[in-house]
Amino acid sequence: MSELGRLLPYVIIIAALGFVVLRRHRRSGSRPRLDSGALIRPPEPGATPMRLLPLPGDVGLVAARELRERLRGRAFRIGTLLILAVIAAAIIIPAVRGDRAGVQQVGVVGTLSAPLRAAVVADGTAANATVTLVAEASQTAAESDLRGGRIDVAIINSAAVVTDKPVTADPASATAQLANAAARTVATANAVRSAGLTPAQAAALAAARSAPVSSLQPAGASGAQRTTSLIGLLLVFFLLTQYNTWTLIGVLEEKSSRVVEVLLATVPAVRLLAGKVLGIGLTVFVQAGLAVVVALSIAHATHSDVLHGTTTLSIAATLVWLVLGYAFYSWVYAAAGAMVSRQDQVQSLAFPLALPVIFGYIVSLSAATSGNPSLLVHVLAYLPPTAPLAMPTLVGLGAVSWWQFAASAVISLAGTVGVARVAAGVYRRAILQTGRRVRLREALARN
Amino acid sequence: MPQLELDGLTRRYGSLTALDQLSFSVRPGHVTGFLGPNGAGKTTTMRAVFGLTALDAGTIRWDGAPVRPPQRRRFGYLPEERGLYPGMRIGEQVEYFGRLHGMSPAAAAAGARAWLGRLGLGDRAADKVETLSQGNQQRVQLAVALVYDPDLLILDEPLSGLDPAGIDAMSEVLTEQARAGKCVLLSSHQLDLVENLCQSVVIIDHGRLVASGNVDDLTTRGRRRLVVRVAGDRDGDWARALPGVTLSEVDAGAVRLVLEATADSQRVLGAAMAAGPVTEFTVRRRSLSEVFREEVAGPTRPARAEARA
Repeated sequence: MSELGRLLPYVIIIAALGFVVLRRHRRSGSRPRLDSGALIRPPEPGATPMRLLPLPGDVGLVAARELRERLRGRAFRIGTLLILAVIAAAIIIPAVRGDRAGVQQVGVVGTLSAPLRAAVVADGTAANATVTLVAEASQTAAESDLRGGRIDVAIINSAAVVTDKPVTADPASATAQLANAAARTVATANAVRSAGLTPAQAAALAAARSAPVSSLQPAGASGAQRTTSLIGLLLVFFLLTQYNTWTLIGVLEEKSSRVVEVLLATVPAVRLLAGKVLGIGLTVFVQAGLAVVVALSIAHATHSDVLHGTTTLSIAATLVWLVLGYAFYSWVYAAAGAMVSRQDQVQSLAFPLALPVIFGYIVSLSAATSGNPSLLVHVLAYLPPTAPLAMPTLVGLGAVSWWQFAASAVISLAGTVGVARVAAGVYRRAILQTGRRVRLREALARN
Repeated sequence: MPQLELDGLTRRYGSLTALDQLSFSVRPGHVTGFLGPNGAGKTTTMRAVFGLTALDAGTIRWDGAPVRPPQRRRFGYLPEERGLYPGMRIGEQVEYFGRLHGMSPAAAAAGARAWLGRLGLGDRAADKVETLSQGNQQRVQLAVALVYDPDLLILDEPLSGLDPAGIDAMSEVLTEQARAGKCVLLSSHQLDLVENLCQSVVIIDHGRLVASGNVDDLTTRGRRRLVVRVAGDRDGDWARALPGVTLSEVDAGAVRLVLEATADSQRVLGAAMAAGPVTEFTVRRRSLSEVFREEVAGPTRPARAEARA
């Protein structure tokens, strides 16, 4: 429930922003198109019968066609399978490696006092695991159970902690966290006892837990956070690159097949472009949504701690920024697609356009792997071209608060509106010019 | 039925004037041929009707009022190059364009089926465009232009790339559309086909109107023509020295002559008989290609720079 409470401000902000943008878009869409040359005079009253009224449905029709053809296409199917395979591998492999998060069997050799038993169970909760205490006859029996995988951690005579694998091998695993925490608990209890405190004092000390540390990200292991950050970052980078290419190639296809000429004979350029961006955007949502659903169900089924519980916020942030990033870049790439006429001219444009994404990716990647975001990442998180990569990384690391997230989203949406304006102008001027590549200066010039 | 009027269209590309105060109208009930040499401005004019070419000056009127985007939903356009999604199924493609022009899903589906069936592609509706031959792609393009039953049809080179059966099918459809009271304007370089298909023609050159009117009027107007065949004669040398007579072409022994008002056809007959036995002696109208050549080349003009927008 508290999870939901934490998400609420984001949801409200995003809904509000989406509403504002939609209103703006609708207003600019209904503006009468500058009619090419044909001198515009106000229509005579009654000269326009009902069937000649502009149908706002054309954006929807264009988007629906785009979505249908994309979902049907081989590129989508193979791409989706690939993404799902990578996600499944990323979640299943650590889970299969023997990390049964969720339930941890703790073998106890000798006696363990009641406060210590409670403390060990609490350690398990902190590591996202439910601890079951199992009595072991001897250290030998405990070790054989450890090797056989029947128990995960053994506590020997309230003095030592034994695990099967070295805890340093995978410090992010629940077993390692539990072992470390239990070792600390046992050591503290022993220290308290040897200090000669009264039973009441000892109990008070044993009951002392760490002061609550609150952060954007609910309490969890930083190792798991880093993993989520990484997965989110990879997803945004991979999908953003793919969808940008789709938009560019899609516009180029319409231009080079000359179908755009037939389309523009009925649909105004801006609406055609909006429909295209929307259609591919919906595809983005379908694919990314599918990826998240599959990731969550696999994680749930395998009791993996990679995506467990605590990271819903990260996933939501990743999805939001994937959409924001797509919205920003799709216009740029659509305009670029309108400026080229042939497939072989694409390379000269695609690489410089991809640079900001690649830059943002590399910087964010180093932050996600080190778990220690630099100032540069914080700066990039507010620039629309790099924010889609940097901001979810920061959210994953628990390094931003909700108002920073919101501020960056606002900047990104404002940037998107500006970019869309320029891109629509470039598209309108360049889309019908075939042959050579249209130069940027010509495309930006007022007609 | 409304008609399409083009009034003073002007379009310059730098120093090149593609359209120069071009005015003409397309009447309903006629198939109107739109003729002119390469680079005369035909495609530019046709695209201007759909707002695809920005004009420097001029007005395009439909039903007496300047054309506005919503009205273009009732115009059908067949561009010079194929404008279809190569990877999309043809049935869905035709349907899609129907919907874009304001048809309901059911009407668009029915229209697509009807037109593809009519054009002999009924069993290929699920095929992708890229699997069709050029001629069949052209039929799909025609179906795209017709599915929403437009009031005005503008076709840029609709006959090029079609086999004789395709030309017949296209001609039949266009004639039928014109008879139904639609405005039909098509450009072509195949003047003999245009002469058979069109009731009116508009001839432009250098972006200016050169001639327009009924095909009958244009072909009967002008100087007299004779076709003379003399047995054994292949090159028509006997006619070259006759006063007031120009030899326009010799085709397999049929000598085509153009007579000035002063020339005497009986003297031509005499000269032909002197050259050998006369097997044919016919008074002819101008063919459309003669009209075209004479009107376009008439006032001597400098060689043009090839340019097409």
